[in-house]
Amino acid sequence: MNDKPVILDADNLIAGYLPGINILNGCSMEVKEGELIGIIGPNGAGKSTFLKALFGLVPVRDGAVTLGGEDITNLRADELVKRGVGFVPQTNNVFPSLTIEENLEMGAYQAHKNYKKQLARIGDLFPVLIQRKNQRAGSLSGGERQMVAMARALMMDPHVLLLDEPSAGLSPARQDETFVRTREINKTGVTVIMVEQNARRCLQICDRGYVLDQGTSAYTASGQDLLKDPKVIELYLGTLGA
Amino acid sequence: MLRAALVFVVAAVGITAILSMGGTAQAATETEAVTTAATSGGTNLLIQNLFNGIVFGLLLALASVGLSLIYGTTGLSNFAHGEMVTFGAMITYFLATPQAVSFPLLPFEFTVNWPFWLAAPAGIAIATALGWVQDKIIWSQLRRRRVAMIQQMIVSIGLSLALVNFIQWWMGGRPVRLVTSIDPRKQYGPISVGNVTLISMVIAIVALLAVAFFLQRTRLGRATRAVSDNPALASASGIKVDSIIRIVWMMAAGLAALGGILLALYQQGIGFDDGTKLLMMMFAAVTLGGLGHPYGALVGSLIIGVVAEVSTVWLPPDLKFATALGILIIVLLVRPQGILGKAERVG
Repeated sequence: MNDKPVILDADNLIAGYLPGINILNGCSMEVKEGELIGIIGPNGAGKSTFLKALFGLVPVRDGAVTLGGEDITNLRADELVKRGVGFVPQTNNVFPSLTIEENLEMGAYQAHKNYKKQLARIGDLFPVLIQRKNQRAGSLSGGERQMVAMARALMMDPHVLLLDEPSAGLSPARQDETFVRTREINKTGVTVIMVEQNARRCLQICDRGYVLDQGTSAYTASGQDLLKDPKVIELYLGTLGA
Repeated sequence: MLRAALVFVVAAVGITAILSMGGTAQAATETEAVTTAATSGGTNLLIQNLFNGIVFGLLLALASVGLSLIYGTTGLSNFAHGEMVTFGAMITYFLATPQAVSFPLLPFEFTVNWPFWLAAPAGIAIATALGWVQDKIIWSQLRRRRVAMIQQMIVSIGLSLALVNFIQWWMGGRPVRLVTSIDPRKQYGPISVGNVTLISMVIAIVALLAVAFFLQRTRLGRATRAVSDNPALASASGIKVDSIIRIVWMMAAGLAALGGILLALYQQGIGFDDGTKLLMMMFAAVTLGGLGHPYGALVGSLIIGVVAEVSTVWLPPDLKFATALGILIIVLLVRPQGILGKAERVG
């Protein structure tokens, strides 16, 4: 994996929602093509803010984000989608008044000529969505919405997929399903960057993990190494269920 | 609990009725003429008023749909929407009247005198362009600066006052007629109606069907509904949210102008503040149907129109809008999300 080129690079990001208050205080990350990256850390560490800053949803005040060598710092979200970045928010991740099929169509809004082809591809990954394509997304359960959200983000065939706590609020069985599906998507060649509260499960499937603390990337290592790291075990994983 | 709610409703309707008597006196006088014509023609009053209600409801819907779309996509309750209704009718009058017209501060007068069939589409086009200009120079700037919704609403109130005063300064305080010919009424069973009103109804229905087709059957329309649902997610899906909102402003202004023109034909004239007076009915229709739901605006408008007109069979015409607003309160007590609004599942 190490010989692959860097696809996304975040260099010393300083960002925040309100003027004068920084949530990120120098976050850096280097992601190679095809990697599955897990971002873990305690509550308030800035994990989701980091992901949103990468996707242009939180203004970056200093530092730079590059995608394949091109500066994408503070680009609008729709511009990033055009450049092959997909994003799945943690909450409010579907269009509730639209049907499942219309949600998927919106995912391919910029590539409507390939819509049918993409729909068939997504149908192979998520056959249940095609079976229930006329159902309104607002009537779906949390797990089903998560599935629609992920499928919607994949409709543009992104190179990089950003997932904000995909397992949040799901039952253990649904969580496992989500992690397995994430790994499957990654194996198709999509680079995945995933923020997770379920650190243990996340590190089990990811190639590398980044540990965030107080708005900075404290350290990085392979998922397996972080699982064995005494400090990570003590601070984030806990000893129960080890 | 139910009894308390009913007492509250009755009290609210009563207070609203008393308060609205002064404000609706002029509108009542206009519709009294229609009612009197209907009865003098020997038609069944109830059916005639039901028909009048549907006509008024359709015209109200044309104006309300845009208000609902703006609310849905931006969250803004646009208090300046009534003036877009007036503006559409006034600019059409400006282009169509054979009399000499002028712009404020211009020292000379001139005559445009276009035929009505040309002036009306031109009026709608100019109003649509004004929708684009409004969003370009005011609303998109406020959105970009992340100005809160309450502040934006206050801006819209200010804009409403500015526009209504501008229209009065420009066109004067007296109502104007878009066409000078009389529309003779014909009898169709129990209903007495003129050809212009019938054509207006057809135009309104076609325009509303076109809006429904746009929202349901076109990619841009579905993107508009997506922005209405969740602008941040729409942007994350690759939709240019600001472009969609710009289109919504243009559509809303164009539909309001069409509504204003047809309303001016229906009530045989329009005054500088008729749109302003209609705004409360538009808000009522949009709320009744389901906030931000474009089809809700249609359903709400028809109910408001029919209740207002039919109520005059049993109640004084002065109370007709108060009755319609009373229905609004009752419906919201029973169904807080409005008639077509859907309660969303959480989690």
